[in-house]
Amino acid sequence: MASDTSRLFDDLLKGRRSRRDLVKAAAALGLSAAAIADLVAAADARGAPSSQTPATQAEGGTGVESGILRVPEPNPTRGGTLRTAFGVTTTSYDIWQGGTPHVLTHMYNGLIRQNPFDGLQTIIPDLAESWEVSGDVLTYTFRLRQGVTFHDGTPFTAADVVATYSRVISPPSGVISVMKPFFRSVDRVEAIDEATVTFVLREPQADLLQALAAPFNCVYPKQALDANNQDLRTVVVPGTGPFVFGEYRDAERWVMPKNPTYWNPELPYVDGLELIHVAAWSDRGTAILTGQADLSWNVSRETFDQGERSADVARTEVPSVGCYTVIMNTQREPFNDPRVRRAMHLAISRQNLIQAFRTQETIALSRWVSHASALAMPAEQIAALAGYREDKSEDIATAKQLLAEAGHPDGISGLELLAASVPPHAEIMAPAIQDQLKQALNIDAQIRITERAQLVEEETSGNFGLVLDTPTISIADFSAVGNLYFRSDAAQNFGKYANPQFDELLHAADQELDQERRAVILRQIEDVLDQDPPWLLVGWTFHLPMWQAAVKGLNLEARTESVWGRVDTAYLDR
Amino acid sequence: MLQYLLRRLLIAVPTLLGVSLLIFLAMRVIPGDPLAMISGEGQGTRVLSEEERESARQSLGLDRPLPVQYLDWLGSVARGELGYSFWTKEPIREQVLRRGPISAEIAILAVAISWLIGVPVGLLSAVRRNSWLDNLTRVGVTFFMAIPSFWIGLVMILVTVRVFYWRPPLVADQLWENPSTNLQMVLGPAVALGLGLAAVIARMTRSTALDVLAEDYVRTARAKGLAGRAVTLQHVFRNALLPVITTSGVAMGGLLGGTVATETAFGVPGLGNLLVQALNRRDWTMIQNLVLLYAVIFVVINLLVDLSYGWIDPRIRVG
Repeated sequence: MASDTSRLFDDLLKGRRSRRDLVKAAAALGLSAAAIADLVAAADARGAPSSQTPATQAEGGTGVESGILRVPEPNPTRGGTLRTAFGVTTTSYDIWQGGTPHVLTHMYNGLIRQNPFDGLQTIIPDLAESWEVSGDVLTYTFRLRQGVTFHDGTPFTAADVVATYSRVISPPSGVISVMKPFFRSVDRVEAIDEATVTFVLREPQADLLQALAAPFNCVYPKQALDANNQDLRTVVVPGTGPFVFGEYRDAERWVMPKNPTYWNPELPYVDGLELIHVAAWSDRGTAILTGQADLSWNVSRETFDQGERSADVARTEVPSVGCYTVIMNTQREPFNDPRVRRAMHLAISRQNLIQAFRTQETIALSRWVSHASALAMPAEQIAALAGYREDKSEDIATAKQLLAEAGHPDGISGLELLAASVPPHAEIMAPAIQDQLKQALNIDAQIRITERAQLVEEETSGNFGLVLDTPTISIADFSAVGNLYFRSDAAQNFGKYANPQFDELLHAADQELDQERRAVILRQIEDVLDQDPPWLLVGWTFHLPMWQAAVKGLNLEARTESVWGRVDTAYLDR
Repeated sequence: MLQYLLRRLLIAVPTLLGVSLLIFLAMRVIPGDPLAMISGEGQGTRVLSEEERESARQSLGLDRPLPVQYLDWLGSVARGELGYSFWTKEPIREQVLRRGPISAEIAILAVAISWLIGVPVGLLSAVRRNSWLDNLTRVGVTFFMAIPSFWIGLVMILVTVRVFYWRPPLVADQLWENPSTNLQMVLGPAVALGLGLAAVIARMTRSTALDVLAEDYVRTARAKGLAGRAVTLQHVFRNALLPVITTSGVAMGGLLGGTVATETAFGVPGLGNLLVQALNRRDWTMIQNLVLLYAVIFVVINLLVDLSYGWIDPRIRVG
C-alpha cells in the first residue's frame, strides 16, 4: 500500500495525473478520504502543477481545478436569503486583529481555500489561480487571478496580497496580529509582478498551505490599509468576496447582499445573507426546528436530537478544533513533578467524563492530535492505550505508584481547580474531574468558580494550579496546536510547560512535508506528551451543525473538521 | 408644585452622581480585565501579549488617571454622547436609542398586563373574601410571586417550540417599522414579566380593597342602596388605587432588573440583554452608561409616581 501511495504521489507531482484522477485511484486503493486529502495537500505543498485553464464541464462540473466553483447539480435554484443562526458578534472588523472569521469571511477571499465539495479536505484556488513550491520548500509562488476587483471597483493586484500578509507577519506599532503564529516561518512576502507573489520562508512549514486556506485569510485592499494607518478595526473595507457589506447591528444581525460583480459569475446563488446573532445553542436549534433560520453551525444536543424526527431538517456531527482540558501549572508544586502529572493523566476515566458530559457536548476519545486532523490516531487504537483505556485498574495502580515515588503515597490535598462560571464547566465537568481524582488517587482539589474574564486573566498571569479550559484553534493541524500551546516559548503556554524533546520533535513535524513520516513524528510527540503531560486532556469535541433540508450546495455531511464560514456555493431548494 | 418638582430634581442630582461614581469605581475594582478577552470572540479566546495589551489600553484611553477618565465620562454624558463601546466601537448612544424603545415597550406592556390581570383579580378576591375563588386566587398569586419571570419565559418558549413549532422572531424590528414582528417579539417577555408583577398588584389590591371595604363611607354607600358593582367601582376601586400605584412604582425597579434576565431568556435585543452582554465582555463604558441610565429611569419613575398621587387623590395635592 505504501509503495502504491508513493507512486500516486509521484504521478501527481510530475503532472502525470490530475487531482481528480488521483482521488479516484486512491479511493480504488482503499485509502480513506482523509488520507487522500493529505496526499493531495502534500503534493500541493511540493508544488504539484495546478490547472490554469478556465473551468469547464470536463472538470466534473464543480470547477475546483480553477476555483471558478459551481455546484454539480445542473440547475441550482437562484435567489432567496440564507439566514444563519449563530454567534455573530465581533470585536473588530479587522479579521487579522481578532475580527470573527466566520462572519467577515463572506465579504473577502484568500489566495487559496478549502474545497467545499469534498468536505474541505483538499485545497483549491481562490484569488490565486495556481501555486508552486520550490524544491527546498522555502518559496511559495502564487499566480493571481486577473480581472478581479474589490467591491468599490479597485482592481486587485499583487500589492494587496503583499500589504495584507506583510502586516500579519510584521505588524506595525498599535496593530495586533492575532494570526501571526500560523505564519511563523514566513520571512517576507514579495510581489514579483502585478500578478505574482511569493512567500519566502526561513524554514519549511508543513501547515502553511492549510493556514493560507483557512477562512480567516481575507485579502484587504492596500489602498484601504494605507488610508486607515494599517488599522481596520473600526471600518469595514471592501473585499473581493461574494457578498458585500449591507448592515451590522451588534449582537443582532449582519445583512450582506450578494456582490453583483463577483469574479465568479456562477456564484453566489442566493441574493444575500442574513447572519442572525443567536447566543444560546438551544435557541439556535429551535430557530432551525421552527424554520426561523436556515443554518446553524452548532446547536445544542437536545435540539440536535430533536432534529432527527423532522424530515425538513438535516444535521451532522463534525469533529471540532476545540477541546476540554485541565491545564496544569508546571511551575507550581506538585505539578512541577512530571510523575504527578502522568499519574493524573493515567487515573482519569475519559470514557466516564465523556458520558457525564454527553448532555452538553459530545467529546471524542482522542489524543493530543485533534480528531479533526487527518493525522489523528484512530479512536479504536487510542482506546487500547494506557490512560485512555476503559479498564482503569492497571492505570490507577501505576498512577498510585508514581504518586508514591513523587512523595505523595497518601494522595495530595490543598489543590485548587479553577473553572469558568459557565454551568456545564462549573456544574458538570469540574466536579466530575474533581471526583475522579479523589476516588482514584485521593487527590483533593477544591473547585473555584470565576467569571470567564477573570479566569483568562488568572490563566495568563500564571495564577493557578489547575484550570479547566476549552482551547480552540482555527486549524486542526498539530503544528498549529503545538506551537500555540505546548512549545516552551509558545504564546499561550500558560502552564509554562517545557520539554526539550517535545520542542525538537515539534520542530521536526513543522518541517516534515511527507505525511507518512509526519504521522510517525506525531505519534512520537503524543508518546512524549502522554509521558510528560502539560494538560489533563479530556478530549476534542464535536460540533453539531443543523440546517433546513432545503439548503443545498455546501456538502456539510462530508466535513471532517468544524471550520465554519464561507457559504458562497449554498442555494435554497425550496 | 413647581418648587416641589425642582426640589425633587435637585435631590436627584447627588443620587445620580453617587450612582455614577459607584459604578465607575466598581468596574475598575472588580477582577477581570476587559482586554483579556477582547480578541477572537466566536473563535475561542485569544490572549494578547503584554505589548499588545498596552497598545490596546492606550487606544481605549485606559492608561489615563482614574479621575481624568471619570470626568471625561461625565462630560460625555452631559453632552449626551455617552462614548463608544470597548468592543464594537459603536457609539453607545445609538445602541441605547435603538434598543431602548424595545425595552420600554416590554416594560409598558408588562405594567399594562399586570394591571389588567392584577387589579380585577385583587378586587374580585377582596369582594368574594374567603370564597373558593379567593382561595384559588391567593394560591395563584403566591405561585407567580415565587417564580422568577425568566423561568416563566423559558417555559413559554419550551411550550411554544415543542407544541406549536413556533418561537418568537429572532430579529427585532421597531414598532413603527414592522408592528407584527415587533409585537411577536416583545409580547413574550412582557407576559412573563407582567404575570409576576400582576401577582404583586393583585395581592396589594386585595389587601387595600379589604381595608376600604371596611370603611364607613362604603357601608354608607351600601346603606343608601347603591348596587354592589357601583360601590366596588366608584368607591372601593378608586380609594384602593393609591397603594397599588406606589407598589407599581416600586415594582418598576424590579421590573427593570427583570428585563435583564427575561430579555436574555427570550433573546430580545433590548437594553437588558445589552447589559448582560456588556457584563460578560467587561465592556466598562457600556456598563457604566447603562447602569446610569437605569438609575435615571428609576428616579424619573419614582418622581412620576409621587406626582400622580395628587392627580388621583386631591387630598394630598402639593401647594
